[in-house]
Formats: sequence, structure tokens, C-alpha cells
Amino acid sequence: MASYDYIEKTVKVSRREFLGVLGVGAAVLWTGAYVATDLIQDRTKYIKMRTASLYRDDFKATVRQSHNNSSLNKMYKSFAGEPLSPLSEELFHTKYIDRTKLGGMS
Amino acid sequence: MRGIREHELNGIIEVNRKACKGCDSCKTFCPTSAITGKYGATHQINSEKCIFCGQCLVNCPFGAPRDTVDSLDNVISRLNDNRATVIAIIAPAVRVAIAEEFGLEPGTLVTEKLYGALKQAGFKVFDNNFSADQTIMEEGSELIAKIRHYMLGESSEHHLGALPQFTSCCPAWIRNVELNYPELIPNLSSAKSPLMMAGAVAKTYGASQIWAVQPETLYVVGVMPCTAKKFEVSRPEFTSAADYWQKQGGTEHYPDVDTVLTTRDLARLFRKLNIDFNKVSEFTDNNNPFAQYSGAGTIFGNTGGVMEAALRTAYFVITGQELAPLELTPIRGLKGIKEATLPLKDVKTGKDITLNIAVVHGIKENLKPIVDQVIAGKSPYHFIEVMNCPGGCINGGGQPINPMGTSWIDKYKAMLPWS
Amino acid sequence: MAHNEIETRVLKHSLPSRLFHWCLILGFLPAAITGFILWLKLGNETFINLAMRIHIVGAIIFTSAVIIYTVCCLNLVIAFMRRIFSWDSRDLGWILIGGGYPQKMFLGKKITVPPMGKINSGQKIFGICLLFSGLILMASGWILYAFIPVSPKLFIYWSNRIHLVFGIFMGLFVFVHIFLGIYNWGEFKTMFGNGTQPLDEAKDHNPVWVEHEIEPVQNTKSNTKVLVQ
Ligand code: HEM
Ligand code: HEM
Ligand code: SF4
Ligand code: SF4
Ligand code: SF4
Repeated sequence: MASYDYIEKTVKVSRREFLGVLGVGAAVLWTGAYVATDLIQDRTKYIKMRTASLYRDDFKATVRQSHNNSSLNKMYKSFAGEPLSPLSEELFHTKYIDRTKLGGMS
Repeated sequence: MRGIREHELNGIIEVNRKACKGCDSCKTFCPTSAITGKYGATHQINSEKCIFCGQCLVNCPFGAPRDTVDSLDNVISRLNDNRATVIAIIAPAVRVAIAEEFGLEPGTLVTEKLYGALKQAGFKVFDNNFSADQTIMEEGSELIAKIRHYMLGESSEHHLGALPQFTSCCPAWIRNVELNYPELIPNLSSAKSPLMMAGAVAKTYGASQIWAVQPETLYVVGVMPCTAKKFEVSRPEFTSAADYWQKQGGTEHYPDVDTVLTTRDLARLFRKLNIDFNKVSEFTDNNNPFAQYSGAGTIFGNTGGVMEAALRTAYFVITGQELAPLELTPIRGLKGIKEATLPLKDVKTGKDITLNIAVVHGIKENLKPIVDQVIAGKSPYHFIEVMNCPGGCINGGGQPINPMGTSWIDKYKAMLPWS
Repeated sequence: MAHNEIETRVLKHSLPSRLFHWCLILGFLPAAITGFILWLKLGNETFINLAMRIHIVGAIIFTSAVIIYTVCCLNLVIAFMRRIFSWDSRDLGWILIGGGYPQKMFLGKKITVPPMGKINSGQKIFGICLLFSGLILMASGWILYAFIPVSPKLFIYWSNRIHLVFGIFMGLFVFVHIFLGIYNWGEFKTMFGNGTQPLDEAKDHNPVWVEHEIEPVQNTKSNTKVLVQ
């Protein structure tokens, strides 16, 4: 236990100071929380805007089903035959590989 | 190197060690845990595991991961070469995003402006939406054949894969299956992605019947929202057009699609060619057969869009009637896993069937339960759409980077030391 | 020692203040040092990761100390804030002659400086900087730690920038503080000892404080000098 003869006079926090600290603290926390939730809520807005835009492109289209795309149907008629025809299989379908079985590259 | 074949592009996404702060953000987006590096230290990408989706790139707060494949100069030299016909295959998601690179709001739809700018740069347009419609015809017919065979008991003249059928448009998802779930390969639709179909169409039908040029003088550029597409076009099997012409006496070797520019790359190209995108005159390209597309083709860029487009056609083919209303709201939106059931009455046999479908995107978080069910043989679904990127291709790894956004779609997640 | 027995002493730093200062040393100091390691990427992966862990542990100590001290000893915090924000013409004079330090260090002569309260003008500047930078560092630091995948990229980017700038600034300032804290050996003994200082020394350094802000201890019996030996 240390001994001393003089000690600092007790500091009394005035009402104004107390409310001031509380007020500033609350204001900073509140704005911070507000800004943070706002930022976090809006973080995917750009995804939603792009998405909505594509759905609008669909909505205003005169032809809205793939099988009614006349230009595509013309391609099939004059070239590939029909979907899953031998030529379609050859040109428009593919095979996949099991990459776990690939060895080292040469 | 394991996971990569000869001639395939490798290391498409790499981390700039100087810029990386080791904040671990990228790890929370990487679907294949390809990123290594301890918290605080610089991170690296393991190319054997990486599926090149670019999600780490668009989500790093410090811009550290880079797209290392830059074919801008090649494309420009082809544009300046008058022997070459340069085709731009533009993906659905590009038209609602490229405007952001030029200061416009996210989601501004600029199809005509994009056509105009491409024309000014010297491209011929091949709208990938055309091939999206074609993908629906091929992939949908495949699904319908499977339904007829497995659910309605008809015999099949085709070699059919298994149900549930997975979509195959997303090269990152395909590479993920090939690397991590090879047992699911029979479930993948054998249909090529719209881009690869477009390349094959362009260099066969397009060359001979539309543009009347030699196929080897075509230079086909995919303009994609996607970095994984850069990998896809380098896959060695994608030479169908050259193989087709070889059977008819051709001698040249060339890929179906020569190179890919991302949406960001295309914006750089316009700047480099001094094309002021905002002032460019609009161009509708009405007489171009490859610029005709349906609403179903355009929604391919959204999560749920491929499924919605496929169901519109499958419904018509099986029931003989158009689906009404066309909007399938349960599979729209940003929920991680979306499901729907569609009752169908087969017009041929009068039998009733119920089609169960699921839509997955943001596969880092949402893929596992769906895939586990399929592997265990307990999947209730017939058709499952998978897109690697959260929100689908409109939020792909090649899209303009939105500085106030992040692909984090799920609820709050703190990075706690014990998690 | 004999002459110590009659020395009059004053309690300058109460126990809570001294404990808080220890927490600053155990929290802020490791955070500052490891912060520099993180910034300059010194060492290999394992070492940087260790630095990051230490940085976070330091941050936890620092943050909890600040919260606990503010809640439990609000009057001391208010007293500190009153002191650092009270400025008058004497402070200007003090700053103009650098508090007499350059003369003392380089010319070896002691000059008279304007009378100071409990803390001098230099300490006031340090206090103000520490108050604001500390809060900013805490806020930006926890954002960087906990909000990374969820918040917009630009928000994280600027949090990092701000954290870095204030981190470097405060990191350097604290080293000046440490140097002066040790240079003023008497002050050092007070802060790291039992918090008391000989009244004469306090009169010399902090005349205004001694004149206005202290009072004799009431019950002198319990504080007999015998205990100090
Ligand atoms: C009080 C709580 C603190 C927390 C929670 C905290 C947290 C962090 C975190 C998470 C990082 C990594 C940033 C990143 O990789 O993006 C960091 C970096 C850093 N911190 Fe702190 N920190 C705190 C206090 C301090 C203090 C007191 C100082 C220095 C006086 C400091 C100086 C630095 C520096 C210089 C860096 C490196 C920044 C860079 O590389 O750009 N930090 N801190
Ligand atoms: C080992 C390192 C340190 C030493 C030797 C040291 C020494 C001292 C000394 C002797 C004092 C008393 C008066 C003065 O000279 O200002 C003091 C006060 C103070 N120190 Fe430190 N210090 C150290 C580290 C720190 C650190 C890291 C911080 C926090 C950033 C800090 C913050 C303070 C504050 C705020 C005061 C004023 C307290 C008051 O006025 O009641 N110190 N220090
Ligand atoms: S998100 Fe960017 S900065 Fe953070 S660890 Fe990954 S690459 Fe590095
Ligand atoms: S590109 Fe995709 S798979 Fe590769 S490291 Fe980045 S997030 Fe992971
Ligand atoms: S979801 Fe679309 S953008 Fe993303 S990796 Fe797949 S194809 Fe590319």
C-alpha cells in the first residue's frame, strides 16, 4: 500500500458533460449503425437491377418462347434438321471428361 | 498438371501479390476452395482447383485478383485485317451491364447501343440469345426425350443420360463437376453452352449461308460476362466446325470460338478504339438472322432464367399448349435454392406427370445439399439448373465491378476466428 | 533512504489509470508493431499470420480496456478530456519553445517554461490525437475484421486506407511518447510505480495542477510515511 499526502480532488462529472458524452456516443453509434445497415442492405442492389432489366427485355419481347424463334427454326430447317438430329448431335452436343483421372501435363 | 489438359488455358485468374491484404474475403466466395494463404498473408490461387469463375476477382475489396488473359490486341489486329470477318457473340448479361463501365446506372439495357458500338468497331453481331434459344431446343429436347423414356416409358433412339438432368451452360460449373463430382457427368446435359453452339453455327451455317465467306476467315469473339468462358473456348474438343468442314474436304484446323472478351474487356476495347459508347448511334440490325431472339433467350443471364426458358418450351412440347402465364415467379429472385413443380398432361398419351425442378446459384453456399442428394440417388428433381455465380451470369466474373456491391447474398456472416 | 522519509508525495495516477495504461501497453503497442508487420508484409506466411493473430488479440485488449475504463471511470475520462481540450496562451508559449526539451537535450540548459497543469501542451496534443485516432482505429479495424464479405468493396477499401493512415500516424506518435515517457524518468517511475510523485517534482512540472487540483489526504494516520520507508 502506497502512502501519499496529497490526492487529486475528486472530479465530478457535470450533468452537461455526462449528457454530452452520452449524446455524442449515441449519435455516432446510431449513424454508424444506420449507414452500415444501409450499405449492407443495398449491397446486392446492382444484381437486382441487372436481373430486373433482363426480365424487362423478356417482357417487352414480341416472341417469348424459344420454339417460336422463327430465325432459329429457319436455321434448323435449312441446315441442322431438328434438335438432336445426327448433325445437331455432332455440332451442338459435347462430352465431358473426368479430370480426377488426368495425369501430369506433358 | 492435374486438372488441366494440354492446350487448355491455365491460371486465368491470379492474385497480384502486391495488392493482396490477406483479408480472406475471396475465400468466402471461392466455390472450389482454390485459394490458399493464411489470414493476413498474401493469398494464391491453385490453378488445378480453380474453375476460373472470377468471383474472387469481382469481390476483392483491394482489386488483387487479375484476369491474366488479355486478347485485346489480337482482336484489334483482326478488326484491322480486311481478309478477316470478325464476329462478336454477345451474351445476354452483357447488355444490362456494359453501360456501367460508361457511367450509367446498373441494369441499363443498351442492346441497340451495343450493336451500334460493335458495328462501329467493325464486328458483325451474332447475338448469343439466338443460341440461347437454340440451347433450349437442344437441351429441352434432351430433357423431353428423358421424360418420355424414363417417366412415360417410351423407347428412345438416342443415347440418353440420367435424370435429374443438370444444365450445362456454365463452364465453371462443368469444370467443377469434372474436377470434384465426376460421378455426375452422366447427369450433365450433353448440350453445349450457348456460346459454343453459336461458334459452331457461325462457322458452319453462318459462313456458308449467311455471310458467304470461307469458315477459316471467320474470327469469332465471345463477348461474355464470364472469365470461365476464356477457359471453355480453349477446351480442345471444341473444333466441331473444322471437323465438319474436314469431312467435306476442308484442311484447316481452327477452334469454334477463337477468343473471349469479358464485358470489362469490351469496354476497354471501345475506349482503345475511341468509340464513345454514350454517343454511339443505335443499331437494331433487323435483317441479321442471328440478331433475332426470344424473351426466353434473353433471361438466360439470370439465375432461374435457363430453367424458365426451358420450361416454357417443354410445357409446349409435352402439353401442346403455351404456358400461361409465362412468368415462373417461384424460380426468380435471389434465394439460394429455388424449387418448383409443374404438372403436365402429355398430349400424346393423356398421362399426367409432375415435373420437379430446382435452381441453384452462388454454388459456394448452395450447391452441396442438391449434389449430395443426386449422388445418394435420392434427388426428387428431374431438372436442375446450376449457375456458378451468385445471381447468375449478370453477376459473372467478367462483369463491370460494382464498387458499392458484393456478391454476398446470404444473411449476415461474420468472420469469426473459430468459424 | 533517510531523506525520503520526510518527502511529501502526491498521488498522480490512480490505480484504475495505471491499470488502463498497462492495458494500452499490452493492447495498443502489440497492435501497432504487428500492424507495421502486416503493412510491410515482413516475413513469411506463418509469421504474418501470427502477427495478424497478435494484432487481433491486441485489438481485443485495447477495445475492451477502453470500454471498461469509460464505463467504470467515466469521471477520469471526463477529467482527461477537460484537460486535453483546455487551451490558453500558456500552451502557445509552451509549444513555441518546444516545452524546453530541445534546449535541455541538445544544449544541456534548463530554461523556464510556462506553468502547466497536470499535463503539458505536448501531452495535450498527444491526448487529442490518441482520443480520435484510437476511436477511428477501433471502428475501422473491427469493420475490416468482421464485415469483409458482407459490405460493399469500396467501404472496406476506405476502411483499410483510414486504418492504415491513422495506424502509421499513431504508431509513430506512440513511439515518441514512449521515448519522452522514459526520458522523463521521474514520470516513468510514477506511472509504472505506485502512482505517487514527490510533491516538489510535481510543483516543478505541474505547478497549476498542484495549486488548484490537489488536496491533502484527510486521514493522514493511515498514510504514515513509515510505510514508504
Ligand atoms: C483497435 C482495434 C484494431 C483492430 C480490430 C484492428 C484490425 C486490423 C485488421 C483486421 C487489419 C487487417 C486489415 C486487412 O488485412 O485488410 C489491420 C491492419 C493494420 N492495423 Fe489494425 N486493428 C486495430 C488497431 C490498430 C492499431 C492500434 C494500430 C496502430 C497503431 C493498427 C495498425 C494497423 C496497420 C498499420 C495495419 C496494416 C494495414 C495495411 O496493411 O494496409 N491497428 N488491423
Ligand atoms: C512502454 C511504453 C510506454 C511508456 C514507457 C509510457 C510512459 C508513460 C508515462 C511516463 C506517462 C505519464 C505522463 C506522460 O509522460 O505523459 C504516460 C501517460 C500516458 N500514456 Fe504512456 N507509456 C507507454 C505506452 C503507452 C501507450 C502504448 C499508450 C497508448 C496508446 C499510452 C498512452 C498514454 C496516455 C493516454 C497517457 C496519459 C495518462 C494521463 O494523462 O492520465 N502510453 N505514459
Ligand atoms: S480478397 Fe483480395 S485482398 Fe483479400 S485475401 Fe483475397 S485476394 Fe487478397
Ligand atoms: S476464379 Fe473462382 S474458382 Fe478460381 S480462385 Fe477465384 S473464386 Fe475460386
Ligand atoms: S454463372 Fe455465368 S458468368 Fe458465372 S461462371 Fe457460370 S457462365 Fe460464367
